[in-house]
Amino acid sequence: MSCSVTELAVLLGPNATEAANYICGQLSVVDNKFIDAAFAIDTTYLLFSAYLVFSMQLGFAMLCAGSVRAKNTMNIMLTNVLDAAAGGLFYYLFGYAFAFGSPSNGFIGKHYFGLKDIPTATADYSNFLYQWAFAIAAAGITSGSIAERTQFVAYLIYSSFLTGFVYPVVSHWFWSVDGWASPFRTDGDLLFRTGAIDFAGSGVVHMVGGIAGLWGAFIEGPRLGRFDNGGRAIALRGHSASLVVLGTFLLWFGWYGFNPGSFNKILVTYQTGTYQGQWSAVGRTAVTTTLAGCTAALTTLFGKRLLSGHWNVTDVCNGLLGGFAAITGGCSVVEPWAAIICGFVAALVLLGCNKLAEKLKYDDPLEAAQLHGGCGAWGLIFTALFAEKKYLNQVYGDRPGRPYGLFMGGGGKLLGAQLIQIIVITGWVSVTMGTLFFILKKMKLLRISSEDEMAGMDMTRHGGFAYMYHDDDESHKAIQLRRVEPRSPSPSGAKTIPTPV
Amino acid sequence: MDTAITTCSAVDLAALLSSSSNSTSSLAAATFLCSQISNISNKLSDTTFAVDNTYLLFSAYLVFAMQLGFAMLCAGSVRAKNTMNIMLTNVLDATAGAISYYLFGFAFAFGTPSNGFIGRHHSFFALSSYPERSGSDFSFFLYQWAFAIAAAGITSGSIAERTQFVAYLIYSTFLTGFVYPTVSHWFWSSDGWASASRSDNNLLFGSGAIDFAGSGVVHMVGGIAGLWGALVEGPRIGRFDRSGRSVALRGHSASLVVLGTFLLWFGWYGFNPGSFLTILKGYDKSRPYYGQWSAVGRTAVTTTLSGCTAALTTLFSKRLLAGHWNVIDVCNGLLGGFAAITSGCAVVEPWAAIVCGSVASWVLIGFNLLAKKLKYDDPLEAAQLHGGCGAWGLIFTGLFASKQYVNEVYSGDRPYGLLMGGGGKLLAAQIVQIIVIVGWVTVTMGPLFYGLHKMNLLRISAEDEMAGMDMTRHGGFAYAYNDEDDVSTKPWGHLAGRVEPTSRSSTPTPTLTV
Repeated sequence: MSCSVTELAVLLGPNATEAANYICGQLSVVDNKFIDAAFAIDTTYLLFSAYLVFSMQLGFAMLCAGSVRAKNTMNIMLTNVLDAAAGGLFYYLFGYAFAFGSPSNGFIGKHYFGLKDIPTATADYSNFLYQWAFAIAAAGITSGSIAERTQFVAYLIYSSFLTGFVYPVVSHWFWSVDGWASPFRTDGDLLFRTGAIDFAGSGVVHMVGGIAGLWGAFIEGPRLGRFDNGGRAIALRGHSASLVVLGTFLLWFGWYGFNPGSFNKILVTYQTGTYQGQWSAVGRTAVTTTLAGCTAALTTLFGKRLLSGHWNVTDVCNGLLGGFAAITGGCSVVEPWAAIICGFVAALVLLGCNKLAEKLKYDDPLEAAQLHGGCGAWGLIFTALFAEKKYLNQVYGDRPGRPYGLFMGGGGKLLGAQLIQIIVITGWVSVTMGTLFFILKKMKLLRISSEDEMAGMDMTRHGGFAYMYHDDDESHKAIQLRRVEPRSPSPSGAKTIPTPV
Repeated sequence: MDTAITTCSAVDLAALLSSSSNSTSSLAAATFLCSQISNISNKLSDTTFAVDNTYLLFSAYLVFAMQLGFAMLCAGSVRAKNTMNIMLTNVLDATAGAISYYLFGFAFAFGTPSNGFIGRHHSFFALSSYPERSGSDFSFFLYQWAFAIAAAGITSGSIAERTQFVAYLIYSTFLTGFVYPTVSHWFWSSDGWASASRSDNNLLFGSGAIDFAGSGVVHMVGGIAGLWGALVEGPRIGRFDRSGRSVALRGHSASLVVLGTFLLWFGWYGFNPGSFLTILKGYDKSRPYYGQWSAVGRTAVTTTLSGCTAALTTLFSKRLLAGHWNVIDVCNGLLGGFAAITSGCAVVEPWAAIVCGSVASWVLIGFNLLAKKLKYDDPLEAAQLHGGCGAWGLIFTGLFASKQYVNEVYSGDRPYGLLMGGGGKLLAAQIVQIIVIVGWVTVTMGPLFYGLHKMNLLRISAEDEMAGMDMTRHGGFAYAYNDEDDVSTKPWGHLAGRVEPTSRSSTPTPTLTV
């Protein structure tokens, strides 16, 4: 709103300048307060979304804990705590700068190290905190693939590298205003006149975490006992279904910050003076998210009932999460009915990827590569098929002739951009994390010894068993003795403790 | 309180307009214009209230989530046989605290106008004529209630596993209803003698103590109260053996400890940034994007960095000291980092928060070593963590508070951090705060615990302690993972008071192997 004194004075007649000044002064006060209000509202919205995304760390910690055997619980939870802690430090020091430092080149950012110059007109502390929460999510995903057999030092090294460099660079490409494939690019051409559409990170977060996990798990090999001498797969069941469900629901809860929060602002009008504004798009995004997850869960429920003959809550939980990982890329630019299709196919993709993993003797305790990598990739393709023109224009700016979803009549350019994204992410993460895991293996820093694996890492490296339900469970001398168990495929470690929480 | 964003005077405007046309129609024009502007101004004022209340209420819900976090942390840190007891104390902290804080705690804390020691305005007791003319609203009450029950929760950790439930009820009501509100009055109300937001400008040392979200008011109060409870009743049986060596009485579930820690971390985003109470305020007309919303975000960042650094420092320090990685210790270190940054989170730079967290980690390790030496037993390390790291947090603020932020958050031209060139007055006020809190909590809670002890209401019997309080006082074991463990299907006799042999490794029933 800008009140022009000279124009108003002319309209009011001769000698009206002072009146005009007065009126304009009043309106200007009001205008400034509106500006303040918009910042306050948008910051509140973004900060609470960031807190929700942060709660996904807790969700993933519980999901991981419940999905591994009791003897490795403390180890996996410590990796989740450390993802967040180390990520906080490194993302503050340079990760955020690599990702969003501006102005920069198309490959990597080079401002805002240690949050220097923040806040600016376009970036405030709330943006940093929100992006930090995303960065630690990616690192958390990877820890699931290499659970139960990886040295803690290897976790620290890969996690710092992923959160501090590999992930920020990818987010720079697809989310910053300078990135070569970003749909937000302000100067220069958009990739295929659209840029890759990955609204909240099916590719940037889920594929990055999943592909990194894939390489870690592939290089270090399956857990002892996972595939027997005849090549048959043996389920190494997690120790607590309650923790799995707790973690899944917390991730669902946090996803309402992950997807709708990626708008960063809520006070943006699409048609001034009406109910049509970004607040609707935010709500619609929460709805598409919900529908994809729900459909994936139901599809998995019945799918597994047919395939394995019984109902299975932990599989349903994984299916649910796969639905969320898939809708994450296109949640803001598709209709709710399309989200149902997304979730349905995501469930099938996960089932298929799991079957493939079993065939290839690939062991991933959290199915992380299959879920986040596989369903994440499906999510990018889904977006290319179903993205609506009007939503793309709302979210990414009005561009006439913009490519949109293939099945919606928008041509194939968007699909081209999405495929490029899939290829480039797979390539970049393979080259960086694959090499890192290989080096760690060569330096004998990656996998633990088979004795430690049989005894469980909590006993041998973390000071003791995670659970103690009766006073005489733990003979105090047993802490940290190295135990050599018979190499049986059964997962019972040292103790026969009743299945804990 | 005049909340209009702007006031348009029709008379003034008419006078200006009338120079250009006849005066009747210019008055009409002016009235019209002013009423339009006034409508917008009122709507903006409404918006401000709605935004600020939304912000404060959701922050309050986050702080409330910390009750759940602390309940899980406590549960996981004690032995399985005492799980139901400790969780019930956490539930009761919240519920009893609601009643006592509503009836009089809030009034003692924030009743205004009042004196410097305690609030006494009648309209605040039981929120009788609140929120009229108070300058705050129900959201403020709920937010402060969530803080009050946090303090009481902390204390329950120190006296866990050996305290009679009746003693919990008594100390908790007294702490939440009187001891804590008084302290919050001193440092947070506009009348408090040491408050940095004192309205009559008679600030302690020209500064007032800066304890933004309560390293002292909440954490030290809870921690020192716990210290006295644990000192008066003595260590748990078996914690220190006859030759004086300490024996770790490990908690029963690392998963619950991690769950609780993460929930506390999550809730801290309401505890620290929420303490601004409002978010819609510009700071700098020349930079319209910079306002209280930025400070709120910055506070969330300093909080995060302090906790993260404390966690990392604890990880590596304990790896050196104990020889292995330990998620439980890392969780406690993390929380110590949060307790410390709570005082200065709004007024320091992010890099300073990194310093805060790393020192907090060593403070906690140091106090734990001291506790072991003095044979002081605290199942949750609550006195060391909340008391020790809380005190460090106050000192940290006295050293690192930045001039720009202090003057934005607390108006006026004030002393700031010693190491930032702000002189020693703020640090002096912080030290006064530490001394005064230790003194007040000691003379109130110390005698209370001693009195309970003398009346045999404090500690449980040795037999009950060996059997575990769930079996002897709470109806049964917390967990029943196999059908044989489930005592609910057994005849009633087993629930009678049992006198177990006083051996260290006695297991209470469910060895009803049927």
